[in-house]
Amino acid sequence: MKRTVPIILAVSTASILALVFFLNRDFAMFFGVTPDDIKQEILIWVTIIGGFTLILGVVSILQVNLKSFSQKKPDRWYSLVTIISLLVMAIPGIFPGPETEVGKVLYTYLPSWIGVYGSQNGIIVNWLFDHLDAPMMSTMFATLAFYIASAAYRAFRARTLEATLLLVAAVLVMFWRVPMGEAVLNMVSPEIPEWINMILMRGVNASVQRGIIIGAALGAASMSLRIILGIERIYLGKT
Amino acid sequence: MTESLTTGAHLTLWLEAFVTLALFSFLYKDNPVYKFVEHVFAGLSAGYYAGLICQSVIYTQLMDPLYTDFGANFMLLIPFVFGMMMLTRLTPIGPIPDLSWMSRWGLAITVGSTAGIFLIAQLHGLVMPQTLDTFAQFSKVTDFRSFAMASLILVGVISTLVYFYFSKEHKGVLGGVAKVGIWFIMVAFGAQFGYTVMGRVSLLIGRMSFLIDDWIGGSIGSLFN
Amino acid sequence: MNDSNTKVGIWEKISQLDRRWIYLSVAVSVIIPLIWPISVPIGITPEARQLYDAIDELPDSSTVMLTFDFYASALPETEPAARAALHHLFQKNCKILTVTTIPLGGPAISERVTRDMAKKYDKVYGIDYVNLGFKANYVAVLSGMGSSIEGIYPSDNSGTRLADLPMMKDIKDYGDIDFIFVVADNAIVDYWVSIVNAQYGTPVGASVTAVSAPKYYPLVSSGQLTGLLGGMKGAAEYEILVGQRAEAVKGMSVQSLVHFLIIAMVLLGNIGYFISRRKKTGAAF
Repeated sequence: MKRTVPIILAVSTASILALVFFLNRDFAMFFGVTPDDIKQEILIWVTIIGGFTLILGVVSILQVNLKSFSQKKPDRWYSLVTIISLLVMAIPGIFPGPETEVGKVLYTYLPSWIGVYGSQNGIIVNWLFDHLDAPMMSTMFATLAFYIASAAYRAFRARTLEATLLLVAAVLVMFWRVPMGEAVLNMVSPEIPEWINMILMRGVNASVQRGIIIGAALGAASMSLRIILGIERIYLGKT
Repeated sequence: MTESLTTGAHLTLWLEAFVTLALFSFLYKDNPVYKFVEHVFAGLSAGYYAGLICQSVIYTQLMDPLYTDFGANFMLLIPFVFGMMMLTRLTPIGPIPDLSWMSRWGLAITVGSTAGIFLIAQLHGLVMPQTLDTFAQFSKVTDFRSFAMASLILVGVISTLVYFYFSKEHKGVLGGVAKVGIWFIMVAFGAQFGYTVMGRVSLLIGRMSFLIDDWIGGSIGSLFN
Repeated sequence: MNDSNTKVGIWEKISQLDRRWIYLSVAVSVIIPLIWPISVPIGITPEARQLYDAIDELPDSSTVMLTFDFYASALPETEPAARAALHHLFQKNCKILTVTTIPLGGPAISERVTRDMAKKYDKVYGIDYVNLGFKANYVAVLSGMGSSIEGIYPSDNSGTRLADLPMMKDIKDYGDIDFIFVVADNAIVDYWVSIVNAQYGTPVGASVTAVSAPKYYPLVSSGQLTGLLGGMKGAAEYEILVGQRAEAVKGMSVQSLVHFLIIAMVLLGNIGYFISRRKKTGAAF
């Protein structure tokens, strides 16, 4: 029950979805049901189950911060900040939108402005996301520009032939990929930017990326095959 | 533009500027304002997921279809049950014993479906077309330049695969090919680094553009007009 | 000898410069061109031209799926591309269907950007464009829409049933979509290509962040991707092609200056390294 059922579920869903590719999509197998119908039903289920996994994430964050706050650690007030922020965003967000069928029923009993201001697509959630969450996320990633500049200055050294190749390619791309650099290269010869794109990007880079894509795809396919054959069971976790 | 800003728009710009500067302050050193904003960010992001799950899954994928036509959609109760079983990951809680093994059922369907789709997608959608195109380049050869490009790509693909994926010891001919592979890879990673710098700088431009144009130019500027 | 020692001392000092001076120099090189912008000619790469031509050659009123597969962290690179794409698509009176595979903010960004752009072109929601929003498990979403979009998305981002939206009456699956314009900041492009393009034949073009752009050159070469925009520069190229110079074009002079600064830093760091190494290995200087 604890191990056999999950293995049966994984093997059967994987086999069905892989097999459907080879079958006639519209061939009615039984009671008018086509392979495509079966595939579609499984995929709808998976999108719904996937939604529940997100709930796990939210509850885990709440649990960790509640625990941290109750343990009276020095940084406990920051945990409280996280909990309050989570609730500020979550409480309006969990109301159904006024266009949903549930919302249409609910807002015959509750005032309709709750759905307009509340709900995931409502004014409050969108405002909080656009004016707080998005700028914060952007800024966190923007700081990486400083770190990458510092790293380039300190660690980017032509110590060996391989490192020199890396450095020269990086400098060439940084120069060519910006308009002022491209303009300078054009002044030397209009063919230089075209050659960099052709030889460096569409030649050497594309070939290496292709090698990586082929290798990684073969790896992913073999892992999928192991799951289909029931050999790979890592998703069962520890027993 | 500056004259037409409402008080609410001013406050919003100042709030955005505050969180931006607070997060940038970490560049100087860690500080309580940074930590405060960082925790607000974590909380808001987790809170966003709560609304998203309700709207995109619970209401629109489960409750609405079941409410409008239960007979046609009763099968949706199956993923609902599997979804609820996923929540047993949170056990044991209070009097509820450890039932986390139940979460494996939903997980198994998710893993299985991804494996089924991946097997085909990776082989049919990536390995085959990419391998074919490597050789098909030669069928498009019209002059020495296109022949050289096709050869360059073929050598690059083979040597990269040899370097990265052949677990046999890199000696003799294989070692030579792997050495060429390293050179190719270094050039490609250099190009990738150049692009990465570009990406990171772009993100900084976005935030700085907000601070200079919208906040200083828009809000602060209008105070002096 | 003393003179050379002094030189080495200076170089060592330079190579051990406090990181905060580097941060300051980066900040200054971003701020200056933002205050005093410099107009720079922007070259169009063949990959950007290919994407533009593919969209431009679509018959008027074609149906195009535009994806918002990016987090808010990548907005400066991706939003200008999405806006430029919307300019082009609305100018051609295309029916636009947006989706997102990003849980954190994907639906909010797609709503904000599409509604803002639609206002400029007097386009009506439900007739000219529809935002489908987010559903979990992108592999299942991409694969499932091949059989039925309504199966995966019974309703749009606001919760309106697809059956109630006039535009969706003739759009059932990928067979009814003429082009997929992916704007992404992650490896989702792989799946749009390997699942959707490979199995359903719908042409896919992509605008990706600079970090991931090099990875997709082989997919352009094999014809699996119809054109590619890389990062803010790619977005700037598309803005120029559609004749709507905006944020990405504006960012290009800043981008140029910061790149020059970083190149100078790399060169400076290496000069310092070689001078210090010569001293340590005892070579005559």
